[in-house]
Amino acid sequence: MFSRTKKIYFQAVLVVVCSTSVNTVHADKPVIEIEIRDHLFWPSEVTVPANTKVKLLVYNKDPTSEEFESYELNREKVIMGNRKAVIFIGPLLPGVYPFFGEFNPDTAQGKVIVE
Amino acid sequence: MLLTSVVIVLREVLEASLLISVLSALSGVLGIHRRWIGWSLLFGLAGAVGYSFGVAAISDWFDGVGQEVTSAVMQLLIFLLLLMFTFLVAQDPGKQRFSGKLIVLVMAATVSLGVTREGFEILVYLYGFSADLPRFITILSGSVIGACIGISIGALIYYLVSALSYRLSLIAGLGLLALVAAGMLSQAVLLLIQADWLPSQFPLWDSSGWLPESSVTGQLLYALIGYEATPTALQASFYFGGLLLLLIVAVFAVRSREQAS
Amino acid sequence: MLLAIMTLTVFLSALHGYRSSMAEVQQLFDSELLDKARLLAITGNGRSVGVEVVSISDQYAFQVWQGDEIFQRSSNTPLTAISNLDEGYQDVNFGRHRWRTYTWVDLARNRRAVTAERIDIRNVLAERIILKSVMPVIVTLPVAGLLIWLIVGYGLAPLRNLAAHLRSRRAEDLRPIPETRQPLELMQVITSTNDLLARLEASFLRERRFASDAAHELRTPISALKVHLHNMSKNLPAGDHDLVQLEAAVDRMGSLVEQILALHRTAPDQYMARFREIDLYQLVQQVIISSYSGFEQRDIQLELTGARTLMSGDQFALETLVKNLLDNACKYTPAGGHVRVSVATDSAGIMLQVEDSGPGVPEEHYERIFDRFYRAGGDRHQSGVVGCGLGLAIVRHIADLHGASIHLKKSSFESGLSVSVVFPGITGNEGE
Repeated sequence: MFSRTKKIYFQAVLVVVCSTSVNTVHADKPVIEIEIRDHLFWPSEVTVPANTKVKLLVYNKDPTSEEFESYELNREKVIMGNRKAVIFIGPLLPGVYPFFGEFNPDTAQGKVIVE
Repeated sequence: MLLTSVVIVLREVLEASLLISVLSALSGVLGIHRRWIGWSLLFGLAGAVGYSFGVAAISDWFDGVGQEVTSAVMQLLIFLLLLMFTFLVAQDPGKQRFSGKLIVLVMAATVSLGVTREGFEILVYLYGFSADLPRFITILSGSVIGACIGISIGALIYYLVSALSYRLSLIAGLGLLALVAAGMLSQAVLLLIQADWLPSQFPLWDSSGWLPESSVTGQLLYALIGYEATPTALQASFYFGGLLLLLIVAVFAVRSREQAS
Repeated sequence: MLLAIMTLTVFLSALHGYRSSMAEVQQLFDSELLDKARLLAITGNGRSVGVEVVSISDQYAFQVWQGDEIFQRSSNTPLTAISNLDEGYQDVNFGRHRWRTYTWVDLARNRRAVTAERIDIRNVLAERIILKSVMPVIVTLPVAGLLIWLIVGYGLAPLRNLAAHLRSRRAEDLRPIPETRQPLELMQVITSTNDLLARLEASFLRERRFASDAAHELRTPISALKVHLHNMSKNLPAGDHDLVQLEAAVDRMGSLVEQILALHRTAPDQYMARFREIDLYQLVQQVIISSYSGFEQRDIQLELTGARTLMSGDQFALETLVKNLLDNACKYTPAGGHVRVSVATDSAGIMLQVEDSGPGVPEEHYERIFDRFYRAGGDRHQSGVVGCGLGLAIVRHIADLHGASIHLKKSSFESGLSVSVVFPGITGNEGE
């Protein structure tokens, strides 16, 4: 409850600040789930539709923290051990967008394929 | 492993050391005692430790985008503080009794926030490997190398800014701060886009083929001027808007100081 | 600064080396993977019954496919294809690890061989090899930094010593700097400094000689003038207006010359070196005795309080100081007035206080009365006494030389000025 009102307040401020209309989160967006296990992404390849905003739900099943990072997607987020994280990506043009776990880049590799 | 740790730590340390070196060089130029640096470093470290403990809970705020929002707020604050700092420098130095203390407070708050933000990621990173000793040693040595490079670049910038004449020091220092602040603003916008609080758009341009963000130069420019290979229009407009605002204030600051001296 | 540049160049070049050798080692591993895949495709005879499962080390895995059927595999691979079976390299996840795979396609035999190597193990191996070559560079840096620091420190030591030597010198010490065992670069500095010191000393000597010469040269004619004046007064009626004026002018000239000479004598810093232990009380007593006649003439009551008080200072300068204060008090106190002198020691130091019952000085003039040639109330002083306005300037000068401070306030009499000179208490501090 508290966080919801706080969020609306923040959004109101932001609307004033940037004077662009902010789409609320309630619009339907495809949700893609990715798991981090043994410093690997499962699945390591996900396919998403082009020109659509997608919600990535990343579950970190490892006890250690990981940082989801992608230069191509312009995303960066620390995910603590045994936690999940929400990352919004897109809309994107068709193509391949690699992402990786910055703390274990040898193994934690994956890509988003946009079609 | 080694290279990764170098890059991660370098990127974080570089941003903080840049803030510290430019602000401390400007302290020298403006004749302000540098005692505040030690305190704000301590505060920042304490903040980083606190943040890394609380991050698990913070992440769950606002439907799972609490981390983005907190980080964005911190960066917005740093931007506003740097703007305020430039304003204070622009003030008539003749009636400084009030702003003298405020300026120190603003600088200390900026550095504390910067260190909190950057220190947090290093702590989380190092903590993740502390159980695995052989890997931890590799990562720690990589981190030390990264930190040394970051601090060295900061030291060089400090000497460079300090060595210039009064006017040039002021111009270079305030100019660098404007770039850093604009970078902060654009990062904050990016984080809010990531949190889906701001509309996302297609990138305005793509310079990743020409200068990838993942390269050392890209990382350096990212820390120095907030370089993005694929920025959106919103990010770019905030970046340049913020930069312009700070530069205008900086011009006034240099003029008022020049007249005063 | 130097260290920052060194750190940057060394670390960056080490990292560059690390990166390029890492790429090279990866290529080496990759070609090995390729060779293994080709080997696998060629070996099997193709008439297998069921799947042959082979146990190999954990680091590697392989699968050989005959058409759509798996025909040979290592025990750590699943039954499904581990890659998409297109020819070439591919990174995939299976069995809790990430693998680098190579697929070799033998179209003639319709056979595909996939070899895989664990990326984490391979990277650790590669890193171990490379770190062995990069680490020494990184480890040497702090050693090199320390050495440079020590060498630079050692090289700069003579300069530091010279600076310390110059700092510790007294202002009046104009002896040349010893030229023993100095590096060539410093020798030039020292020679030119010594040159400068010698010239400075010569000019100081000239100045001092000029002061004492002037004293002699001026004192004699003034004394002669006084004698002549005295003789002249016998030939003139007593109280002749011009004569009185002339006598006053000559007296004034005499005191002016005396004061200027006193000021010159106390001006150079070398007087500080001559500080000795002095009993201030006794000194004040002596000055009072010598100038008592002036007070007696004007019927001023002079009072001295205090006790034996030792301090370090210059005898002549302090005498001048006390004499000037007393003269001032005497001058400005009307006939029948009071002057009180006290010597006391308290926490602030040794205090010499002279109070008079004269007209006093308005507070706003307190600062200015120490200026040379300044006289309260302008040149036409109401008291009409002989003075040149140098007395208090000399007092302040001498006080400064002794590290003393001067405080002015209203005297404890009904009217009048109180001048206190506070000397720093402990004796023996003269070298500061």
